[in-house]
Amino acid sequence: MICEQAQLEIGADPHASTRELDEHLRSCPPCASFSAQMRALDADIRRALDSPPAAAARVRLQKPKAAWREWALAASVLLATLAVLGLWLLRPTDTLAHEVVEHVEKEPQSWTSTHESAESIDKALRGSGVRLDINSDKVTFAASCWFRGQYVPHFVVQTAHGPAQLIILRNVMVAGRRTFHEAGMSGVIVPAEHGSIAVLAHGGAAGVDAMAGEMQQDVHWLADAR
Amino acid sequence: MRNSQPEPPVSSIVERLPAADSAAPLVGVFEALRPDLLRFAHWLARDRAIAEDIVQEALLRAWRSRGALQDLGAARAWLLTIVRREHARLYERKRLELVSLDDVLETQAAPRYAEADGDLFTLRHAIMRLPLEYREPLLLQVFGGFSTEEIARELTLSTTAVLTRLFRARNKLRVICGMPAANDAAAPESLT
Repeated sequence: MICEQAQLEIGADPHASTRELDEHLRSCPPCASFSAQMRALDADIRRALDSPPAAAARVRLQKPKAAWREWALAASVLLATLAVLGLWLLRPTDTLAHEVVEHVEKEPQSWTSTHESAESIDKALRGSGVRLDINSDKVTFAASCWFRGQYVPHFVVQTAHGPAQLIILRNVMVAGRRTFHEAGMSGVIVPAEHGSIAVLAHGGAAGVDAMAGEMQQDVHWLADAR
Repeated sequence: MRNSQPEPPVSSIVERLPAADSAAPLVGVFEALRPDLLRFAHWLARDRAIAEDIVQEALLRAWRSRGALQDLGAARAWLLTIVRREHARLYERKRLELVSLDDVLETQAAPRYAEADGDLFTLRHAIMRLPLEYREPLLLQVFGGFSTEEIARELTLSTTAVLTRLFRARNKLRVICGMPAANDAAAPESLT
């Protein structure tokens, strides 16, 4: 008998006694020691089992789950999904839209300005690579603003639908038309020849679409931005 | 609370059944063995209330099939077997949900259960933590006094599988009690 077999038999029953095992134990001190240890452990196990478990693990009867619970769970998941989807739809279209809105919010005076000189408009357009075909009377705010690592022309134009913020984003490319609603403003970013233009207005999206349509006609991109 | 209620005497269970008049000795044996049965069921189910249910049901079954018991001297082993089967039936029927033992043990104040012999305390918890597949044959052997062959028959396992489970059960307890694990050279279990 080898030690592993002996220890398996001892471990299974420390009081087991067979001729082979007894002979092995007589000639193998490690297994004899193992046997003594296991007999002592077994005595302890008997003592331990003499009284009921000290600290009972709580075992509950698991009631069959009612079908309505599963439906309720499914409905909860669906509602949560719809809520997330709603939030997603109401969020600004993307980071660019959010940055545009944030920029406009930082310049509240742009909405209230009533007149801008032709020089200021020229100055705002300088270096932008854009020509604007809008009567200067309609432009009530003009600035060259730092945005995404470059100066971009920022105007407020009075339109038939009310004042509109126009930000011309040269080299800021967008894959397609994007509309957004944030901070009480509706906006649209539309791709253009050398970048994109952002148009924002207070209120609903319908006016913004019309404004954006007009401004796309009024903004002319030049080949050279210098 | 259910646990605080006194245990119903076996005679009260038996009285509800017909033809109890000629079985007074058996009722006495049932009464005498009830604490043992309850302790066995408690170690199996690890819950006092469930253990009481198991024992009650087991005694009813035993009473109904009392004709199968030829020798009152074999009543203990016979009843333990019925209790074990009732426990197994309960698991199959109700699918008991186990709550993490660690959570329970951590939330229960140790001093309440502290015993003079700390090692024994550790060992009790270690036995409780044993998976049922190891705990059950160990209880049958140590508590019930069943032989390996009897356990194999009862659990419908091969003798080798029972030996392996018993070895592994004790080996786990050895480790928990701070002794080095024995080399587990046992072959993968052959279940039948």
